[in-house]
Amino acid sequence: MKENILVKYNDIHKSYGDLEVLKGINLGIHEGEKVALIGPSGSGKTTLARLLMTLEEPTKGTIEVDGKLLWHEEVNGKLQRASEKHLHEVRGNIGMVFQHFHLFPHMTVLENVMEAPISVLGMKKEDAKKDAQEMLDKVGLIDKVDTYPAQLSGGQKQRVAIARALVMRPKIMIFDEPTSALDPELVGEVLDVIKDIAKEGKMGMLLITHEMDFAMDIADRVVFFDEGIILEQGPPKELLNNPKTERLQTFLSRFMNAN
Amino acid sequence: MSTIELLFALLKGLRVTLTVAFFAIALAFVLSFVVGFGRLSKIKFIRAISTIYVEVIRGTSLLVQLFWIYFALPIIGIRMTAMMAGIIALGLNGGAYGSEIVRSSIISVPVGQTEASIALNFTPRQRMWRIILPQAFVMMLPGFGNLQIEILKGTALVSLITLGDLTYRANVINASTMETTKIFTILLLIYFLIAWPMTRGIEWIEKKLTVGRY
Ligand SMILES: Nc1ncnc2c1ncn2[C@@H]1O[C@H](COP(=O)(O)OP(=O)(O)O)[C@@H](O)[C@H]1O
Ligand SMILES: [Mg+2]
Repeated sequence: MKENILVKYNDIHKSYGDLEVLKGINLGIHEGEKVALIGPSGSGKTTLARLLMTLEEPTKGTIEVDGKLLWHEEVNGKLQRASEKHLHEVRGNIGMVFQHFHLFPHMTVLENVMEAPISVLGMKKEDAKKDAQEMLDKVGLIDKVDTYPAQLSGGQKQRVAIARALVMRPKIMIFDEPTSALDPELVGEVLDVIKDIAKEGKMGMLLITHEMDFAMDIADRVVFFDEGIILEQGPPKELLNNPKTERLQTFLSRFMNAN
Repeated sequence: MSTIELLFALLKGLRVTLTVAFFAIALAFVLSFVVGFGRLSKIKFIRAISTIYVEVIRGTSLLVQLFWIYFALPIIGIRMTAMMAGIIALGLNGGAYGSEIVRSSIISVPVGQTEASIALNFTPRQRMWRIILPQAFVMMLPGFGNLQIEILKGTALVSLITLGDLTYRANVINASTMETTKIFTILLLIYFLIAWPMTRGIEWIEKKLTVGRY
């Protein structure tokens, strides 16, 4: 069975003013594939993810999602910037978990998770509630349904954010350093949840993380990113045990020393 | 005149004061949102007229605005009752300040809230109505609380365009009785007693909307 490409970056460039952050990225992600994106801070990992989530627009190049262009659409044979309607249609394939959670503070945990399925997917309230409860149970927070986010720990907040993104059933989920804002003792509970989801298999993941062991454990492929280009990629063992570029060697040794 | 007699004579103006205050606050509230959104509009023209409106109102005094509406507009054929002129002047004035409250509250909702709602694929309208506005509205309340008190206090100016409000009555009684201290002390108390529940009311709404959330 041939695996289908779900996400494809084609020669993607992104600049902020004079600063070119992404310098021609070509990257394909298969359906269900788990890709870990590693690299020094400031190398452009977040930017790459934000382009896919439609939070930033590429300066040059195209992104395809499920066979459709994300940021562009064809109107009368000409490629134009995508309309909000087009973005809305394609964006439904993608979900994202942020470093700083961004839960909705004016809604309870349950409402945070139910809101999008009801207003975006048009689910019936009872169905959305049942689904949200199941998902919150899965991330271990079923006893917190009526709590407001302000009363949760960072680890709990992030697990709610994960449940909130999961109920939308994206084909690929972006995790942008989901544990970097957490106190060390809360990192484990979040990583465990993400591992569980990864083991279920069907959903693709684009995982930006500095937790190397974790990345090794769940990723099908590791992509090493430096100064806006992909320097190396491959299966986790190969890449980590046998880095080819000096950059990656330095990057990894820093981590091994740190841990 | 006894204190009680003075009080009753003054209270004849209460209805006018309350009517002007009520409708001016309502008008200011609506304008605050219309213009506040206008200043955040993607369309440059709408942003421009909203900004001009706010700057013109803030750069001139309420008294001049009131006189202009009541005495100058009739010259170009727009006539209205003193009551109407008072409501419009106070409403327009309050709306300019209120739009600043609306605008600044909306932009102070953290950008992460918008990003999370884009990631969940809400439409732009849903983002505004379900995510941004409910959070911004809570931030607007203290400002709106002040604004409605300002408008209430501003209603005293309508006495200058012949409306028989509390302040007008006080001036009339003062002219015939010369009981200045007594009259204006009572007037002060009446305004305070109107303002007090208004302030408490806003606080109550704020508490209602935020209990357990922050
Ligand atoms: N909105 C922005 N405006 C200007 N510069 C930005 C913006 N966002 C990111 N950058 C810059 O782009 C570079 C890459 O950032 P980022 O993608 O966040 O890297 P990473 O996630 O790998 O740490 C950094 O130098 C950062 O300062
Ligand atoms: Mg980053």
